[in-house]
Amino acid sequence: METFILIGITGIGLGALYFLIASGLSLIYGLMGVLNFAHGSFLTVGAFVGFWVASKMGFETSMPEFILAMLVGGLAAGLFALLIEQLLITRLYDRHIDQALVTVGVSLVVGAVLGGWFGNDLRMFPAPLWFLSAIDIGGAKIPADRVVYIATAVLLLVGNWALLKFTRIGLIIRAGVENRNMVNALGINVRRAFSTVFFLGGFAAGVGGVLVSVYSNGVSPLIAATYLIYGFIVVVIGGMGSVPGSFLAAMMIGVIRQFANYYATGLGDFVVVILLAVVLLIRPQGLLGKVRS
Amino acid sequence: MLRWKYSRPLLGLLIALLALAPILGANPLSRPGLQQTMAVAFIWGGLALTYDLLFGFTGLLSFGHALYFATGVYVSCILINHEVVVWWLAALISIAVSALLALLVGAASLRTTGITFAMVTLAFGEAGHVIIQRNFFNLTGGENGIALNADRIPSLFISVANTKFIYWAALAALIFTYAVIWWVTESSAGRVFAALRDNELRVQVLGLNTQRYKLLAFVISAALAALLGAVMLIAAGSAAPRFADAGVTISLLLMVVLGGAVTRWGAVIGGIFYSIATTRMQDLTQQESFKTIPKWIGGPIAEPALVLGLLFIFVVMFAPGGLSGAYYRLRLRAITKKSQ
Repeated sequence: METFILIGITGIGLGALYFLIASGLSLIYGLMGVLNFAHGSFLTVGAFVGFWVASKMGFETSMPEFILAMLVGGLAAGLFALLIEQLLITRLYDRHIDQALVTVGVSLVVGAVLGGWFGNDLRMFPAPLWFLSAIDIGGAKIPADRVVYIATAVLLLVGNWALLKFTRIGLIIRAGVENRNMVNALGINVRRAFSTVFFLGGFAAGVGGVLVSVYSNGVSPLIAATYLIYGFIVVVIGGMGSVPGSFLAAMMIGVIRQFANYYATGLGDFVVVILLAVVLLIRPQGLLGKVRS
Repeated sequence: MLRWKYSRPLLGLLIALLALAPILGANPLSRPGLQQTMAVAFIWGGLALTYDLLFGFTGLLSFGHALYFATGVYVSCILINHEVVVWWLAALISIAVSALLALLVGAASLRTTGITFAMVTLAFGEAGHVIIQRNFFNLTGGENGIALNADRIPSLFISVANTKFIYWAALAALIFTYAVIWWVTESSAGRVFAALRDNELRVQVLGLNTQRYKLLAFVISAALAALLGAVMLIAAGSAAPRFADAGVTISLLLMVVLGGAVTRWGAVIGGIFYSIATTRMQDLTQQESFKTIPKWIGGPIAEPALVLGLLFIFVVMFAPGGLSGAYYRLRLRAITKKSQ
């Protein structure tokens, strides 16, 4: 039973990391139709800025200091995302393939610049020491950092939901995902919603970057690659444009992957892809996605 | 007609020159070093062309093309090393395996379109990459890959002095790929591919089975990629996980966009240029004069991805059509000026 709980919660913790990157991908795609390959670089930028802030504090950080590093990292990634959107994406209005291509270029350039400056070796992230301690849940010893991941993801989900539900810009974003042309026709400027979504997506990815670098024991320009791919898988399974769908799919995938890896070493990734294929065959629009007319 | 009337005779001459260069006395191509570089560049040129068939001609943005290339590399290497069949049969089997794999993966992922298709193919491609790295049944050698057992292939392809045979094999593979793709894209099926890219609904309304045609393009492209993979195995002498990396597909995309899609020769030139540029740029940054540049600017420049990424962004933003697109625009301008 303890093993069961341990693997389950570890899986949810991993799923939380997937969600942080997938939520932005899903909204950006849902609203603008942009397949954002630069999302991995948002994650890396957030990780490096967060690392820079945290390492100013010494070799370990207290919890408030860590949260500060996370917020600054998220903010930097959000601003970077905004810059990319304003500089490149908006100029290729509605040329979806070209938009995807440009983001591929961005990810290459960011990878090269960070790799050239810092090298590709892992640099230890100064995380609070208590992340290493274990929390007792139902007799299982859960590593404390997993709880932090889950809490952050839940906070982000709630914040996202509140923003989409209760603010004017949230209303515009929801309407835009549903039918962008109609929103435009009603005389509402969707462009601001675009920028908001890019900033929020970048912020979530940047926060995720800090957490990912704790999870992978350090920062490097290479940490984002696997998470970006898992982010894509989560978005497809959860349904494009649906943040709750991404949350559900991310948790599912995290848990299934951990269990598969426990019972059959190394099979986790394989099982996830099989799951993807099955979902596509049965429900091509994803779990909570809507069929587009 | 935008084609220059001398282009075909000149192309024939160029191929003849490239083919004969290794035995034509003293010239740069008589050195094994450059022969090896060019052999690898030819393979990339061919691979870019197979990607152009998907992306340029049929409008399928796949991010999992590396899977079929790697299938060619790995399946032939495993079959050769375990002495299952003779080397050329191993290559043929790897092509068949790749086509079958493409049939299965394509049948599932072609249920989606556009950007979703890109994500799904990426996921399948990465699954292949992971399987190779996991070293199941001790077949793929994990992170280190597997060295090709040199005793099991003809001695022609071994030793530095024989590099010219690898060069010829790669050139032949490129020409074969070009011929097949030329034939496919000019055939009636090729017309349907182009129609699918431009207006899928229209093709559907005309009563054609769109899925079947897309799958056909997907499988042809995968089979040719596996053939080039088998040649790459001989050129590289080993099968390594880097051949299955998603980075391979992204490089192919870069080659096609930089060279220009849908013109065939654009993709080939893009592939050859990209391959040579990445190897030469590394040599360049090893030089002493390069070390005088301050590290904060020299470090990123030493990564080929920086220049290629910036060039790529520039082409997508300001010069759609890439190199061949620019060429045809110039031709068009010259022709219209003449007719005035």
